[in-house]
Amino acid sequence: MKTAPFALAVGLAVLSLVGCGEKAAAPGAKEGAAKKIVVCLLPKKKGVPYFTSCSEGAMEAAKELGNVELIYDGPTSGDAADAVKLIDQWTAQGVDVIAVSPNDPDVLAPAMKRAREAGIKVITWDADAAPDTREFLVNQATPEEIGNSLVDAMAKDLGGDAAKGEVAIVTASLTAANQNEWIKFMKARLPKYPGLNLVATKPSNEDQKLAFSVTQDLMKAYPGLKGVFAISSVAFPGAAEAIKQAGKTGEVVVTGLSTPNDMRSYVEQGVVKSVILWNTKDLGYLTVFAARALVDGDLKAGATTLMAGRLGEKAVVGDNVMLGGTIAFTKENIGQYDF
Amino acid sequence: MAPDGLKVAPTDRRSSTPWPHPALRSREFVLAILLAGLVLVAGVLEPRFVAPKAQWLLAGHAWELAIVALPMLLIVVTGGIDLSVGSTLALSAVVLGLSHERGAPPALAAALAVGVGGALGATNGWFVARLKVHPLIVTLATMAAFRGVAEGVSLARPISGYPDSLLWWSQGTILGVPVPGLVFAGLAVATAFVLRRTLVGLWLVAIGTEETAARFSGIPVARVKQGLYAACGACCGLAAVLLVARNNTAKADLGTGLELEAITAVVLGGASIEGGRGNVLGLVLGLALIHETREFVGWHWKQNELNLIVIGALLVGTVLLERLIGRTRRPRPEPVAASG
Repeated sequence: MKTAPFALAVGLAVLSLVGCGEKAAAPGAKEGAAKKIVVCLLPKKKGVPYFTSCSEGAMEAAKELGNVELIYDGPTSGDAADAVKLIDQWTAQGVDVIAVSPNDPDVLAPAMKRAREAGIKVITWDADAAPDTREFLVNQATPEEIGNSLVDAMAKDLGGDAAKGEVAIVTASLTAANQNEWIKFMKARLPKYPGLNLVATKPSNEDQKLAFSVTQDLMKAYPGLKGVFAISSVAFPGAAEAIKQAGKTGEVVVTGLSTPNDMRSYVEQGVVKSVILWNTKDLGYLTVFAARALVDGDLKAGATTLMAGRLGEKAVVGDNVMLGGTIAFTKENIGQYDF
Repeated sequence: MAPDGLKVAPTDRRSSTPWPHPALRSREFVLAILLAGLVLVAGVLEPRFVAPKAQWLLAGHAWELAIVALPMLLIVVTGGIDLSVGSTLALSAVVLGLSHERGAPPALAAALAVGVGGALGATNGWFVARLKVHPLIVTLATMAAFRGVAEGVSLARPISGYPDSLLWWSQGTILGVPVPGLVFAGLAVATAFVLRRTLVGLWLVAIGTEETAARFSGIPVARVKQGLYAACGACCGLAAVLLVARNNTAKADLGTGLELEAITAVVLGGASIEGGRGNVLGLVLGLALIHETREFVGWHWKQNELNLIVIGALLVGTVLLERLIGRTRRPRPEPVAASG
């Protein structure tokens, strides 16, 4: 006779077990610098070292500001549909800022627009989406900086200002927009080092094996080849492997953009002397400061600078907040980085 | 005590039945209690979660699953299964995308998606009904095959950029209700009607209960199955249109894992995986419970990963609670206990 009330009690007990455990997050109040705000940081994929490193910088910034509650969450599968669900959920919660690194800008666009319609500030970081889906982009590095850093690193690896020798570029595909921008600025930078002579630009079509064979061919075709710029994430290890297997470690150097973990073994073996990347921790750090400034009204259309804690004053160009600055991972410092 | 679940329970009133009334021991009642409890707890911990605005927004994540789960219920009632629903959805979506890209007007592209979905389902049906291959094997094969074709013809690239007339299917509202919600409501009522009030519904149950007997009593088993799998495919095509409209993108990896979610909802809703039993009300409650739990866990703990354990816990929890309520095996002269 008492089964049903008992069952009800059990049901509620089970649910309250599900329900309790953590404090309910106070929905962030809008306006006012002293008010605590909720900032959601969405990576392309949660659990990969690159984004974890970004999130560490973001947490540091949230701690330093003291008035930012940071939520770092993203699809562990890297699935854009899961990212959409998260954005919708944050929209329904009425958070203050959603900072998106879109893994698929087209899929995320409707959700980002829904968030904006609900009065939430949406920015992008790490990668951009359509301009009508976000207010600002926190831009890790300009093509010019990347181009310059690559050329400077190559020159340094080949002996500094007096660097001499033939160099070649192994790019992604000949139509890849990012890479073509970088190449443009690399070509503009090369005259700074008159000893360096660009002899070829070859595509590898995002194929590591092709990058491997293209690099082999380059070494055969240009016996005086001293350096290779391998400027896609798959071309870089492909080119490094080709040089290693040809026994030309130290004779031909290769440089490019990558994370320390991906290229660590080549750096330790000496095949690669410099790996170029922007500072991922600073990227997360700056994103949180930009979010705070956006809510406070310090970052708005027409702004030209942004004060970002330990990073100091950062430039705002149009709707881009510029992080700027790249780091070179070398044999000496790569041990300090784990991502 | 007048719990919310009472009004939705099956309505065979026999004044002499002992308390608790059989209705209180039904799966639907258990699900309704769990759902009410969840909403209560959620309302206390996260008041914004239960606000209608938030609920409508979050509901957008569940419509495609809900629409596919309806025909899945009917298939499970016949003792069958369709593992290819996610892949059928993906291939339909890709057909929509490619035809749009080649200049087809949105209405035609959407119709093509539904048509292709139906054709793919009919293929499953043909193998199951005519060649009498076990549906698990047929749809396991087509699950891989349809996904492969979807990836092949689209070269796995996303196809984006649809006109507002297509996006309306996901983002539009009629009288404040999102269009996909209305589509689902219509289909749910139709499914319940077919199952409960038509001869075909009786046939479905009969096939699931004892197929040989059904065949000997003159039920056109092959034709019914053929049509059922085709209808399931068409629903996948429809869900594909809604999903593409929601994401503004057609891609070959859409609907991955959809089959397991749909089957889970069907089973949670009280359908027997061996066939012969299941009803729409239970399914709708099961879907609502899965959806709300998932959204609430993500909302409250802000950890996407937790979602992975939610469904398993729900299934186990429901079965345990049902045992606690003291459900005895009810004699079932009429195997379907459906309402609404």
